[in-house]
Amino acid sequence: MPLGVNLRDLIPKTTTDLTSLRGKSIAIDAYNALYQFLAIIRQPDGTPLKDRTGRVTSHLSGLLYRTSNLVDMEIKVIYVFDGVPPTLKEVEIKRRARVKEEAIVKYERALQDGRVEEARRYAQMTSRLKDYMADDSKRLLTLLGIPWIQAPSEGEAQAAYLVKKGDSNFCASQDYDSLLFGASMLVRNVTLSGRRKLPRKNVYIEVRPEIVVLDKVLRELGITYEQLIDIGILVGTDFNPKGVKGIGPKKALQLVKQHGSLEKLLPTLKKAEFPVDLQRIRDIFLHPKVTDNYRLAWKEPDIEGVIQFMCGERDFSVDRVRKALGKISVGMRKTKGKTTLEAWFGSNS
Amino acid sequence: MFKLRIADAKLLRDMITVISTLVDEATFNINPEGIKLRAMDPSRVAMIDFSWPKTIFDEYLCDAPMKMCINVSEMLKLLRRAAKEESVELALDEKTARLTIAIKGRYDRTFNMPTLEATEEEVPTPKVTFNVRAKTTTHGLHQAIEDVQLVSDHVRVEIDNEKMTLRATGDLMGAIVELKKGSETLLELEAKESSKATFSLSYLSDIIKNASATSDIATLEFSTDMPIKIDFQQPKEGKLTFYLAPRIEVE
Repeated sequence: MPLGVNLRDLIPKTTTDLTSLRGKSIAIDAYNALYQFLAIIRQPDGTPLKDRTGRVTSHLSGLLYRTSNLVDMEIKVIYVFDGVPPTLKEVEIKRRARVKEEAIVKYERALQDGRVEEARRYAQMTSRLKDYMADDSKRLLTLLGIPWIQAPSEGEAQAAYLVKKGDSNFCASQDYDSLLFGASMLVRNVTLSGRRKLPRKNVYIEVRPEIVVLDKVLRELGITYEQLIDIGILVGTDFNPKGVKGIGPKKALQLVKQHGSLEKLLPTLKKAEFPVDLQRIRDIFLHPKVTDNYRLAWKEPDIEGVIQFMCGERDFSVDRVRKALGKISVGMRKTKGKTTLEAWFGSNS
Repeated sequence: MFKLRIADAKLLRDMITVISTLVDEATFNINPEGIKLRAMDPSRVAMIDFSWPKTIFDEYLCDAPMKMCINVSEMLKLLRRAAKEESVELALDEKTARLTIAIKGRYDRTFNMPTLEATEEEVPTPKVTFNVRAKTTTHGLHQAIEDVQLVSDHVRVEIDNEKMTLRATGDLMGAIVELKKGSETLLELEAKESSKATFSLSYLSDIIKNASATSDIATLEFSTDMPIKIDFQQPKEGKLTFYLAPRIEVE
């Protein structure tokens, strides 16, 4: 299922490992991460983790253990939650809902027929992020002492804004939309690096973080930031999911470089339709709704509070949760107190 | 146009080495008076500010201000090929945006490398009122840092009217280094009020080690829980200043 703009083939990136992010802060697109947890953290037949009352807990499992690994590496994590999506996203949201409905039917059929592998595959496509999951996640993060931010609209736009302001070193997301939102530094695979099973195959691969630097992307492709947005719109974004028929990333790059802008190149195409005025799509990326109303503070976890919530209410194993909390406490203590020079750029101190 | 020649290749190499401890890509501001660079490391904990007036060079030619961005480690690879007492010439071809590096001495070789798109970001100067000032030998300071680095990755620096003390506490071991006013290492000391601050040793040790190649005297300035400024005295009118943000201990 395509999520976000598909620019993978165009974008130069550097593979790295988590240790190179030590001491850095990363603003994680929370919904993007939670969807991954919901898709991946499942039993072999595709059933998600649940507590005794049937509430899904896969997202909490991912959030706790992944966050503890990152904090253990002395990475300062910030989670950014989506707010109200831009109205232009409705088409895409409906399309995703439809794909999920279809997947649910296929999942149940596969399960009935005992086709377990297939059932798991369809189950991964049915992942839905319900409100209670986001609420649970925020509650867990607060208990863990990890800052989270409620974005007014797109989480990726807010995360990109944090990077632009210098409040975070990186934006972390699987999607390249962050670049379109102007994030100067993007890191991919942060929430899923490690050993991962390839879909449909019994093969495991090592997933490593990838760093994408916006300046470098623009330089190597020989385009401006505005032109990158135009390429995204040609290929298709969440706000015009279809893009222009028959145009992939490479063709889009070539066209934009040849003609300079969408306005100039569109007349040369036979068929190019957009759901709304081009400028409205561009404006979502150029002037996204973001907020300054946040405070970034990392605190030591409330150990008993986390255990009460995760073990008392959500049926996690006390030993495993304690172990994860231990990693978080140590990591927090190590990162605590680190400052940057930017704190002294403002008024006289 | 921009062109320079320096008879001692080692000096150029040592200065580029200092820059390489903080940044991978460096944007130099070049003007008819000389070369300047001010850059922060990617995590924005440390900053380097340096300038080489044209008098440092044996030949210097620049007709209009310009920016030149280079991949520092690539440049260093080339400069490391120069032996003692060989000279280096740099020339920027503005049309092709390539930098030519000619090393002359035992035999002549000419390298060329691409320049990168310069960053427009202007790094401001940290605004700090300094309460203490200590002048040390760069070598002695480097030795003291090597001592405390054996036990920890950060150091608490304390200065009062009598002495400068470096304290480090690791998981297993601890270290205290005392440098007394007027000693062989601590040449001068001024303290408006006793001050202490904690700094990451990984930054301090790399910078001081590399700076000691071109600098004999270092002047440290800081205030309690404020950034430290270290001025490394340079040959002729060169200037090399380093800022490092503190770690704030909130227990």
